[in-house]
Amino acid sequence: MRVGVEVGGTFTDLVAVGNGGITITKVPSTPHSPDIGALNGIKAAGLSLESVTDLAHGSTVATNAVLERKGAKVAFVTTEGFRDILFLQRHDRRSIYDIKYRKPEPVMARRDCFEASERVLADGSIATPLDEKAVREVLIPKLKEGNYGAVAVCLLNGYANPVHENRLVEMIEAALPDLLVTRSSEIVRIFREYERASTTSLSAYVQPVIDRYLGRFEKSLAEADFKGHLTVMQSNGGRLPAVAMRRSAITALFSGPAAGVVGAARQVEKSNFKNLITFDMGGTSTDVCLVNDGQPALTMETEIGGLPVMTPVLDIVTVGGGGGSIAWIDDGGMLRVGPQSAGADPGPACYGHGGELPTVTDAQVVRGAVRPEAFLGGRMKIDVEAARNAFTGIAEHFGISIEEAAESVVKLVNSNIVRAIQLVSTERGRDPRDYVLVPFGGGGPLHAASIADELGVSTICIPPNAGVISAFGLLASDFVKYASRTQQMPMDAGPKDGAAILEELKAELVEEFQKMGLSGDRLEFTYTAEMRFVGQAFELGVELPGDRLNALTVDDFRDGFEQAHYRMFYHGIGSNRPVEIVSFRVGATYPVEEVPVMHSTGDVARTPADHPVFEGGDWITCQHIASEAVKNAGTIDIPTIIEGSTATTFIPVGWRAELDHANNLIMKRI
Amino acid sequence: MKISALDYAVISQGVQAAAREMGVKLIRSAYSTILREARDGSAALLDAKGRTIAQAELIPMQLGTIDAIVQPCLELFPPETLQEGDFLINNHPYHGGQHLQDVFIFNPVFFEGKLIGFGASVAHHLDLGGGSAGLNPNASDVYQEGILIPPSKYNMDRDWNGGNFERLIASNIRVPTQTIGDFNAQFAANFMGGGRLKELCTKHGVDAVLETMDEMLNYTERRVRAAIEDLPDGVYTGEDCIDDAAFDGDDPVWIRAKVTVKGDSIDVDFEGTDPQVNCNINCPFASTQSVALSAVKVALTGSDVPFNSGLRRPITFRAPYGSILNPKPPAPVRARMIPAYRAYDAIMKALSKAAPEKVTAMGFDCTTIACLAHKDDNGFAVHIEPYGGGFGGSVDQDGCDAIDNQLSNCANTPVESLDTGYSFFRVKAYSMVMDSFGHGRHRGGAGFLRSYEILKDGATFAIYSDHHKYAPSGLFGGSDGTKGYCRVLRGGEEVIVGSKNLVNLKKGDIVEVFCGGGGGYGDPRERARSDIENDIAEGLLSPGEAARIYALPEAAE
Repeated sequence: MRVGVEVGGTFTDLVAVGNGGITITKVPSTPHSPDIGALNGIKAAGLSLESVTDLAHGSTVATNAVLERKGAKVAFVTTEGFRDILFLQRHDRRSIYDIKYRKPEPVMARRDCFEASERVLADGSIATPLDEKAVREVLIPKLKEGNYGAVAVCLLNGYANPVHENRLVEMIEAALPDLLVTRSSEIVRIFREYERASTTSLSAYVQPVIDRYLGRFEKSLAEADFKGHLTVMQSNGGRLPAVAMRRSAITALFSGPAAGVVGAARQVEKSNFKNLITFDMGGTSTDVCLVNDGQPALTMETEIGGLPVMTPVLDIVTVGGGGGSIAWIDDGGMLRVGPQSAGADPGPACYGHGGELPTVTDAQVVRGAVRPEAFLGGRMKIDVEAARNAFTGIAEHFGISIEEAAESVVKLVNSNIVRAIQLVSTERGRDPRDYVLVPFGGGGPLHAASIADELGVSTICIPPNAGVISAFGLLASDFVKYASRTQQMPMDAGPKDGAAILEELKAELVEEFQKMGLSGDRLEFTYTAEMRFVGQAFELGVELPGDRLNALTVDDFRDGFEQAHYRMFYHGIGSNRPVEIVSFRVGATYPVEEVPVMHSTGDVARTPADHPVFEGGDWITCQHIASEAVKNAGTIDIPTIIEGSTATTFIPVGWRAELDHANNLIMKRI
Repeated sequence: MKISALDYAVISQGVQAAAREMGVKLIRSAYSTILREARDGSAALLDAKGRTIAQAELIPMQLGTIDAIVQPCLELFPPETLQEGDFLINNHPYHGGQHLQDVFIFNPVFFEGKLIGFGASVAHHLDLGGGSAGLNPNASDVYQEGILIPPSKYNMDRDWNGGNFERLIASNIRVPTQTIGDFNAQFAANFMGGGRLKELCTKHGVDAVLETMDEMLNYTERRVRAAIEDLPDGVYTGEDCIDDAAFDGDDPVWIRAKVTVKGDSIDVDFEGTDPQVNCNINCPFASTQSVALSAVKVALTGSDVPFNSGLRRPITFRAPYGSILNPKPPAPVRARMIPAYRAYDAIMKALSKAAPEKVTAMGFDCTTIACLAHKDDNGFAVHIEPYGGGFGGSVDQDGCDAIDNQLSNCANTPVESLDTGYSFFRVKAYSMVMDSFGHGRHRGGAGFLRSYEILKDGATFAIYSDHHKYAPSGLFGGSDGTKGYCRVLRGGEEVIVGSKNLVNLKKGDIVEVFCGGGGGYGDPRERARSDIENDIAEGLLSPGEAARIYALPEAAE
């Protein structure tokens, strides 16, 4: 039995595959200790942990720790003279005409930033030796006194030679063995001190949270006689054994959204769609990603709450618009939605857990798109009156009906999502009309058609059990790890010295995978050299042919680089400027044996019913059918709401839909 | 408008995305630290008439008048005479340009044989010749500041890539490898933007694209007019002064602005501003226009109103010819940011009377340029760092600490990048400074110190800055920000460099540049106690100063 458990902000989803069947379970998340929700899900699914061989886990624990500033109390240590590096940042502004601009806030206070007297230079030589006496007598007592949960160490030029970072960490660990210490050189060996310090400090900030979380989870599993492999999703779209993740927290930072993209891409590929815009609308936010030729876009630099992170992650844009997003009226009297969310507790007003603020889900209940008797397969009680009451304030403020207020909120959240999609498509030179929209998450399929209308997208592909596709993605994703090293050399040295480094990195990865129990010849590798013209500061990744690593030629490097430079900058082919290699990266993938088949599952059979939905300022008649009835429904071309156990789909006027051979619902604009 | 709202949204986003991408690629393919790290460059897409349609949001000062700087080129070389492969170029302060170092390049974009616009970019070049490397504070005329490129037309194939124009430029500058590389980054950005524009035409039809470009101007105009309409009609005045005119006199130089709001338009008149001076702090009229446009934009409209030539329509401006804001040739102009910021503050002070909740107290509002140079047997090494200071407090919040000021947006250069590229100096410290801001209900942003250790004899250090004598003003009862300073520590000795100077350095010297903090907003007695205590805990406010200003007992420590 293979099980994927995905903990979201509002719900915890579980997909179990094995013994010829597929089990889907959805339980409320338990934000204070998400592992309890995960265990509740396993219990609710009626699974015996003894029979589970592969438990794949995804969570937003790391992300939420940063966004909600609930990580460890972290101290930051850097080279003398540069204590303020996390506050000075890059001295520029993201928004140039904002007279009241604020910088993104670092995860630690200025009072928790310290210095060590030392200086390593860019060539790795040492200008000032580490003042160990001061470390012992001044720094360590301060670290002890401060009651810190973790320490981040990032010294100038530590990427070139980590000798001082290593010594400092050794001293701190010897004196304060309970303190988790993270050094920049083990997280990211790339120059630019602010970006590296930011990545390191974020890693230190979430490390204790992840470590504690996974430790507790492993313990609970062991108590329930779990003997299989626990694996955890990473931001790069691959997973890692939990043990390895406890030392590599930074790669968990964007893992939640990554699983969904991988799951959706794998499932939709079966319908031969490979160029996709995925959007995952959950309880608290919506994540958007572009997939080209089946491969989710990857980026080497991203940020969280404006703070840079320099590890490879899926290129996902998030907006604060989900089912639990709260609608409010701002100081200027304008209607807004999010980023505040009612989360799982108290949740939307209609959940009846004491929430009183109007959310997007409440809006869908008010307009009749979500029927109380059918929400989540009828397993969750919905309080329509509470939802309506939550909208009275907005309706009165604007002098409109409660239904109109609800519909305005839906339109507003849709336009927020449209803007996010434009960011990953139009703003990166891609036309969304060339893509298929793939909505998932509990709310995605309900909002997809009107978002597609705004974007001019004409095809929507909705995977089965769209509400738990992230949990499915956990099972469909491969084991992935990257290793990289900064070592500057002229291009001509690439075939010999460069290839040797690539071989070393490969060997490191093979060893790491072996330690994880993933050995053998199934590993697949990608080899990348980061190159630039001498004098430039930003590199371009050049893929090298892995099948003849021993026989690389200078032309492999030059041709690859010139083409990449031309694609990016429209010049560079045939240039006689010297070229250099700055760093090397190897990616290792251990593919999953088979991607499980996803199909609709045993919902409670319900008879189709006509039920009005408030759409376009008026009530329209709408057919409501259960998701398992879609198989036999043929082509649907009247307004229809498909009620599934994990998600609700809306087919408005102007769209037609049909289930295809892969169990994906294909919607086309008429 | 004939095109659909959806097409307009898709095409206008596409044009904006193309301009933004031009900016990203200009920076990422550049060679000099001033362009690739400090990001002192900008890019835009213009229409066939040379109007700015969309821009990469990089440096407001450069972006403000790209459209005005192409005009003298188009007068000499009308659009209908341009051919594929041609480019226009201009850096002449007395023919529409700003200062020499900002070289503006325009590549025409043709679709099916028809001119549809220009890819435009500007980069601050590290060195364009002149009396000393990177920055010549002693220049008494524009010819001592570098090579002048009047509005000209050249051809890529004939004149660049080894051609005569490239060779002429390369022969007149000190670090040609980096500078020619940066020119190439400009061309690349322009081609990229042009390529994207052509792709949009292929996809949506050229007519729809051109119509969208027109409509983008109208959209911005409408939003700006609506914002001006919200202000009470009236005549508002403000003034501010530059410390001195360096070698041309110790007296302050005054800048005066009269802002007239009438209905949905605004007029900015600099009548009464002091005459031009003989040192490099003269502001060419293109730069003065850029200040007025940026000030109105930043104070009155939200960030979501895109900046383009539509912004110009409701705004008129004038400055007396021969004044420091509209000088006659051949006055030197290298440090034009100095008067530009005083003009900016004069406008802000005027607007504070019309819209007190929209403006801030004065920030440090001064570009500080630190230029380190060294020459040895291997040739020249030049490094320029542009810096800001603290923002002013506002009705809502404290000013932002240690950041580039409103008219500019340069990033700092990572110390690790300098360690790789330069062997004659090393950054010793970069830190915020305690008690470096003005106080008020909302305090100003903190200032910061950058210090350099000189590692070789024979290095030079040149600077221009301001607010070394007069601090930035507080507003509505807030106290003034802090003054800047620049000094060299040599052994036990302190040498004051001042705000506009060039000094020769020795191995072992420490150069310190301090950029001050912004002014406070509102009465300090109204400041929240928790904010004061937090500033103390964070080491930004000393207990002594807290006691003195906020009457807080020193025991709070």
